[in-house]
Amino acid sequence: MQEDFHYYATYCAAYLAGYDHAECMDICYSAQFVDLCSATLLSKIKAPAAAATTQLQLEMMDTRTDVIGLQNITRIWSSFHFLPKDLKASHNRRPKVYMNKYRLICGPNGELVKRTAELAKGKSLQAAGIAMHVIADTWAHAYFAGTPSLVINNTTDDFYEIISGDEGETERKIHFRHSTSTPDDPGNSIYSNSLFQRNENTIMNLGHGRAGHLPDYSFIKYRYMPAWNDYRIIVKDNPSDYWNAFCQLIYAMKYLRYDIGEFSTGTYSYDIAAPYETRIKTILGKRQIKASDDWKAFGEELSGEKIEDFDINRYQDEYMSTSAENRHDTFLGKFTDAAIAHKSMVCHEIYSSGNKLTGFEKIVHSVNDNRNGLFKKKHG
Amino acid sequence: MTKLQRVREIITGIITVLIALLMLLEPSEGYTAVIGILSLVYTVRGISMIIYYFTMARFMVGGRTALYIGIIMFDFGILTGTLTDVPHFYVLLYLIVIHAFSGAIEMMRASESRRYGGAWRLKLGHSIIDIIMALLCIVFLSRLSVAVIIYAIGLMYSSVLRIIAACRRTKFVYIQ
Repeated sequence: MQEDFHYYATYCAAYLAGYDHAECMDICYSAQFVDLCSATLLSKIKAPAAAATTQLQLEMMDTRTDVIGLQNITRIWSSFHFLPKDLKASHNRRPKVYMNKYRLICGPNGELVKRTAELAKGKSLQAAGIAMHVIADTWAHAYFAGTPSLVINNTTDDFYEIISGDEGETERKIHFRHSTSTPDDPGNSIYSNSLFQRNENTIMNLGHGRAGHLPDYSFIKYRYMPAWNDYRIIVKDNPSDYWNAFCQLIYAMKYLRYDIGEFSTGTYSYDIAAPYETRIKTILGKRQIKASDDWKAFGEELSGEKIEDFDINRYQDEYMSTSAENRHDTFLGKFTDAAIAHKSMVCHEIYSSGNKLTGFEKIVHSVNDNRNGLFKKKHG
Repeated sequence: MTKLQRVREIITGIITVLIALLMLLEPSEGYTAVIGILSLVYTVRGISMIIYYFTMARFMVGGRTALYIGIIMFDFGILTGTLTDVPHFYVLLYLIVIHAFSGAIEMMRASESRRYGGAWRLKLGHSIIDIIMALLCIVFLSRLSVAVIIYAIGLMYSSVLRIIAACRRTKFVYIQ
């Protein structure tokens, strides 16, 4: 997903869930910031590197794909962009080394989605924003894993767009090129994707690189054959998935606001979105690379307030000009605390499932943090 | 990393540093060592690829190619080991590509880091060194000993990084 959904659509979902304009802005800013909070940015503002929620392209190219490098990549991408659906998934006669990667395949409504919502409840709006990013991405990035893996994330070259028209659905072959500087061309079904690399652990095989940005576009419905699915074809219906994602975000935020007692996966606030269903589905189905303008207009109509454009620098001065002990109370301080907490939870769950791809964990000591009432653990 | 992985990485790193030192001390004899190492690398990669096929790639669509590549690479490793006279031009060509590519990546990384306000000077330094190494290979294309020395320095650099990585403690402060 991109800025259109993580920023503007999340604003709309937050508003429909009952937050006021200012709260919606904090939530959607945090949701979008997940895509920009890299180790490089954190180093610039002197924030903890452990709070990184993404990696710049060249940061990844710079990362050694040895065990430690791969664990760092997997911690970030599995936690924030490719939340695993089923850490205990089974498959006949597959060795553990294969299953460790197979079990990191992302998908909606897994146990970790529930844990994500539960962790954010009662926390800051920044924590809510991070959780909304993670939950939304489980829909967009389904069927890919947040760890470099040829055997999981590779695909064949046969992608077909399924286009609905007056005469039903027709199929059109999708052509890929490897130029990131040339914009995708939906009109002619020409898109960019990553180069095929035979190395299992190269970053080229991280996430949905082989499918290009197709998972990030709300309008597209397509079919393809992933490497992991025993030669079975997958049909990815983004307009439908994004609609579910939107309604699940509303539901999740109502849960965070204590309007709902217990979070259940597979439950959506269709009723709240229903009056706007036609409008939302029109935005989702429109063939465009970015739907920001449409979502923004919809959000401003909903709240009657102006939605400021996203500015990566907005809170950096506040963070840098605050003393170290008070930084936890700044906008970015709350964001980094929430990001580390979320990453810890996901990595702990992955490790506890017997999977070492996010690293090894050893609790050295535990102390109570009186100020936040938080619980700190050291892992070595 | 498990303790076993750490020990393995450190031992491999130390052995490689020692080989590189020997090559630096005896560049004329070192060329044979370069061929030996290349042969070993291809043989090990071939075997790894075959293992990779049986543990992972055979479950993926089109994974059988990994088996063929593994066998070919293994063959190539054995073949290289039996050769006594591989033109050193190819070794230098290999070094030029490796260093030029690393240098270009590091330079782009430095530029990106600078754009985001992060540390960039060290990266720029690395990129310049890599590019100088590539240029040296081109300038001294006809000298065998230069190829050996540059190869040895590169080997030593990656071995030291391997040892450092193995010694690093992956400690994170988690807030739950």
